[in-house]
Amino acid sequence: MKHGRKFELTYSKDIIALIIALIAIIILTGILIPGFATPLHMMLVLYSNAALGILALAETYVILTGEIDFSIGSVFWFVTVIGAITMNGKELLVPLLICLALGLLVGFINGVFTSLLRIPSIITTLAMMIILTGGLYVITGGGGHGKAAPELTAFSVGRTFGIPNMVLLWIILAIALYVIQERSVFGLALRAVGSNPRAAYCSGINVSLIKLMVFVISGFLSAVAGLLYLGYARTPYPLFESGVGVGATLSLQSIAAVVIGGTSFYGGRGGVHRTFIGVLLLAILSSALISLGLGYEWQLIFYGVVILVVTGAYIRLIR
Amino acid sequence: MRMSRLRKIFGDWFIWIFLLVFWGISSALSPFFRTLSTFATIILTAVPIALVALGQTYVILTGEFDLSVGAVASLATAIASETMQLNWPAAIVLVLLVALIIGFLNGFALIKLRVGSFIVTLAMMFIVSGIALIIRPSPGGFIAEEFENLMLYNVGGFPVTAFLILVIAGFLGEMILQRRVLGREIYATGGNPEAAQAMGINVSKVKIAVFMISGFCAALAGLFIAARIRSGNAIVGAPYLFDSFTAVFMGGTLVTGGIGNYRNSLAAALLIASISRILQFLEVSIWYQFVIKGLLLLGVAGAQLISVKRRGLILS
Repeated sequence: MKHGRKFELTYSKDIIALIIALIAIIILTGILIPGFATPLHMMLVLYSNAALGILALAETYVILTGEIDFSIGSVFWFVTVIGAITMNGKELLVPLLICLALGLLVGFINGVFTSLLRIPSIITTLAMMIILTGGLYVITGGGGHGKAAPELTAFSVGRTFGIPNMVLLWIILAIALYVIQERSVFGLALRAVGSNPRAAYCSGINVSLIKLMVFVISGFLSAVAGLLYLGYARTPYPLFESGVGVGATLSLQSIAAVVIGGTSFYGGRGGVHRTFIGVLLLAILSSALISLGLGYEWQLIFYGVVILVVTGAYIRLIR
Repeated sequence: MRMSRLRKIFGDWFIWIFLLVFWGISSALSPFFRTLSTFATIILTAVPIALVALGQTYVILTGEFDLSVGAVASLATAIASETMQLNWPAAIVLVLLVALIIGFLNGFALIKLRVGSFIVTLAMMFIVSGIALIIRPSPGGFIAEEFENLMLYNVGGFPVTAFLILVIAGFLGEMILQRRVLGREIYATGGNPEAAQAMGINVSKVKIAVFMISGFCAALAGLFIAARIRSGNAIVGAPYLFDSFTAVFMGGTLVTGGIGNYRNSLAAALLIASISRILQFLEVSIWYQFVIKGLLLLGVAGAQLISVKRRGLILS
């Protein structure tokens, strides 16, 4: 697969623009807010966004194939709750396996409905989100139950070489997924399916299988993110947003991060490296707003404006 | 020939038949279900869902999405609760105007930025929710009593206004789609935008129009919710985003646009409103409604998709 020279050039131009924007924002906030651009605070920003970062990585693969996964936030909360109940402050290994299996199972069901039964992923994953929300309500009745195993907590809040484990795992996952995306047959197929499913099918790629695998990976990574967060939060209290699916906010945030990173919503173009920067951008902006004394409502407005400005700019850059 | 015609009618009205069967079984199972008060509650619950779904049906028929409907409904309650003290009819006009502007901006940004409606309306959803929270940080405010009484007007427990809203929404929504130029243009745009453009349809105009309709409908839903909860609340509209999708997809409208109608979305809205009722009477935990809603969405959407495919309307 050889790209035209021009495509390669523009492709790197807009990611450089994104990195410049990120650095500019860090410098600007560093000047405006004392103590903001310090390594200590930056590490805190990374630490508190590691779970979202992993969810956004999962979402990226799905969006690369031209599909969407609304259920990742719900899987995240479902796993934290199931994990806390089954661990109950003692067990580690069996609950851990149960949770990861749950993530795989949900991803598999999403994948089967989407790729084999051909129900659009927006319907499948929306339905899955509603079902998981119901499941959570039925199991917990709305409150917090159980407690994370001490080993898990030790891992989530612990550090290796001075870097929080959660951040380390996020970065390792990002690099691993990047390598798969750029260097493996699967990664190539992923983008081929996203840019033109029919052409991919004709060139011998098993489109259904690729999509199925993408949803399974997405479910698995959501479960990993949920477990990490469980260790950090110890007893999770999922936000039972009045009637909305549990985790809808998380799903939408991760979609926002993917989009801001510049992964095309129509599939095929973009990647996890962009999403990584997208999460950083969103995280630093949110943190800066909080430091400036602006609350959640201003964060929401900022999210919206950033999405519009950045995606609009991409279109201009790529054209 | 006769058989296939029957099958077509069954396919076209599938969700209504499903709804009637569902109501029939529910009434047979529970004596509490076949009461006027249950029917009234279902109607009152269905009104906002049906209104939001009306706009969403139009948007999805053109092949786009509107993720901002829930936020617009919330904003409507927020603005209404802040301004109704002065003059309630003027407040309603203001709310509807704001919603039309938001809808216009959605359509305009979609055409100018060319990044897809999903992203544009996602951004708009964030922005509008933020503004709603700034206007109304905590639930409360004032809703004019005259407006409340008008919206909830009932005769012997039968919610006349709510029922009329459903009937009018159903009639207007379906008439514009099937009998007006705009409706035909919506179908053409969703079916094949390039072909529609080549035929001389101003696709951009149609898209702006559907987003304005969607904003308008979401604001109407918000006003009705405000009358029901007698206050403003900056997050109350959020669930209606997903309810609108559920209603539209359950109603068999195709995600890619071009195929579908409003009458079936309306039936789906009534079905969604009925589910929590029947579960309550069956003494099943109310929380199972989410599970059942999700399974229904999957089942009905799958069934409709298969029937559409069987009739050869779309290629797999």
